[in-house]
Amino acid sequence: MDSGEVFRMESVTKSYGGIRALDNISVTFGEGLTAIIGDNGAGKSTFMKILSGVTIPDHGTFLLHGHPIHITSPVEARKLGIESLYQDLALADTLNVYANMFLGRELVKRIVGLPFLDERHMAQLASETLDQVRINIPSVHTMVRNLSGGQRQAVALARAIHFKASVLLLDEPTAALGPKETDSFNRIIMNLVDEGKTVIMVTHNIPQMMEMASRVVVMRAGTIVAEMSPKDTTQEEIMAFMVGSYKTVKSPQNFQKGGD
Amino acid sequence: MVEMKESNSERQPKNGRFASIHSPYATANIRILGILVILVVIFSIIAPGFISFISLQSILVSTALFLLLALGETLVIISGGIDLSIGSMLALSGMVSGVMMSHYYHTGSGVGIAVLGLGIALATGLLGGILNGIVIANLRLNPLIVTLGTMGIFEGVAELISNGLPVSNFPPSLFSLGNGGFGLPWLLWFTIAAVLFYGLLLAKTRFGRYIYAYGASKDAVVRAGVNTKRHTTWLYGLAGLAAGLAGYLSTAHFETASPVAGSQYLLIAVAAAVIGGTTLQGGEGTIWGTVIGALIISVLENGFVIVGMASFWQLVAVGVMVIVAVYFNEIQRRSRLAAVGRRQRQ
Repeated sequence: MDSGEVFRMESVTKSYGGIRALDNISVTFGEGLTAIIGDNGAGKSTFMKILSGVTIPDHGTFLLHGHPIHITSPVEARKLGIESLYQDLALADTLNVYANMFLGRELVKRIVGLPFLDERHMAQLASETLDQVRINIPSVHTMVRNLSGGQRQAVALARAIHFKASVLLLDEPTAALGPKETDSFNRIIMNLVDEGKTVIMVTHNIPQMMEMASRVVVMRAGTIVAEMSPKDTTQEEIMAFMVGSYKTVKSPQNFQKGGD
Repeated sequence: MVEMKESNSERQPKNGRFASIHSPYATANIRILGILVILVVIFSIIAPGFISFISLQSILVSTALFLLLALGETLVIISGGIDLSIGSMLALSGMVSGVMMSHYYHTGSGVGIAVLGLGIALATGLLGGILNGIVIANLRLNPLIVTLGTMGIFEGVAELISNGLPVSNFPPSLFSLGNGGFGLPWLLWFTIAAVLFYGLLLAKTRFGRYIYAYGASKDAVVRAGVNTKRHTTWLYGLAGLAAGLAGYLSTAHFETASPVAGSQYLLIAVAAAVIGGTTLQGGEGTIWGTVIGALIISVLENGFVIVGMASFWQLVAVGVMVIVAVYFNEIQRRSRLAAVGRRQRQ
């Protein structure tokens, strides 16, 4: 399913005091949706924070499209094309849709030498991006506070997409959404996957991931205990990896389905 | 109950020809403009002399000084802060420039000294405001408390450098600036320039956009990679700058610099912003709204005088309007939350 390597991390370790939150993790992400599944305390959050530049690992190397990179801050991660969708979305409620999408990266035009906001251009580009990923928002001029939870999520997502993110990090994106909005959000994600984006999503919804993900990575106690395609596994097996019934597991390679 | 006007804006076409059509404040600004017009009509019916060139001009001149304070205050309130020191800042910058001008002026029209005085007043206001901003941004203190402190500090310093007494003995060119004009009184030209500067800065630049965004969500601005410390510092600096200009024009207009000038302006400056639709929660407001709010306050004051009521009624009327404006705002906020909640559950 995965077509080629997009993003790779090698021997990544992170400790908090005496606790190893991540223990020598190596993993490769290709195009498509990779689901990160694990119990509380498995290291999912630390893993995502390291990818988004919020947390700096103790050891480890990162390769993006084969080139070594250093993710030192969220701003740096974004410059590299790694965009995060924060749980609180980081939207300014009293600004409209396109102003939020361009926040911090506004387009300006010079009028008598002075930089003024190029509102029309931003509105147009925002509108195009929303159409492109088939996000349905009445108007890019709508204040974000008048949008529903799902639409707000879509705006935050469109912001990431517009700036050509090649890797999208989503941490429980649909946790606060109703069933209908979850469906439409997931549809947008699948559109992005079709466009060749790399999407890394932390989730608890295993049945949903069995349908959507091209790959499932199961974490437990700071390590990766299994990597597999949803086609080659069952929900029961994933649960077993999560809770540690497969206690003998050390290397995920041994447990790629078909190898047991 | 209360209908939601904002929701209409969602149905607007995607690529309107005029950016102003998309302003979420258009309805609110038209509404308060309506209130202003109604007030003018009422007063001109009761007192036929109310609409005359002289009367309107005197209304505008009496608006100018506190409107200048209100411009900076509007920016600060939209960012989610408050600046209580601008009234004292008016006094301090008027006093610093006044002491300097009266010290160096001997004979002649003294145009050079008057211009230098303007520069000194602006610099004093800007520096005082930047001081507010540095303390608020770097020590991460509540702006209400910081500017309450500097309100006392600025007034104290103004009293210190003048021994608590008013200063006069200024060059004649300063008086003609404060009371003469070119078509309109100079006072108004300065105010119009300031309104345009602050209005464009807020509505049309990145700096202005971050003021709104910061008032709505500090996290959003920080994560967008904006240097919020520098932004906050300049923001309060600009509030001080407007107060500095007001201090200079006050000295020019009243032909005296007083260490307690401007103390009565703080509350009506905040009132002008609030009546004009700026909300104290931050993230919302416009300079145009503040201008109309300031005019409403002046019309009330002058109107009461013209119809023969004690001008103190203006204080009562402004107080009532502020509370009504805040109440109206709160009702809108609640109905909006309810509407979003309803949609969420669908």
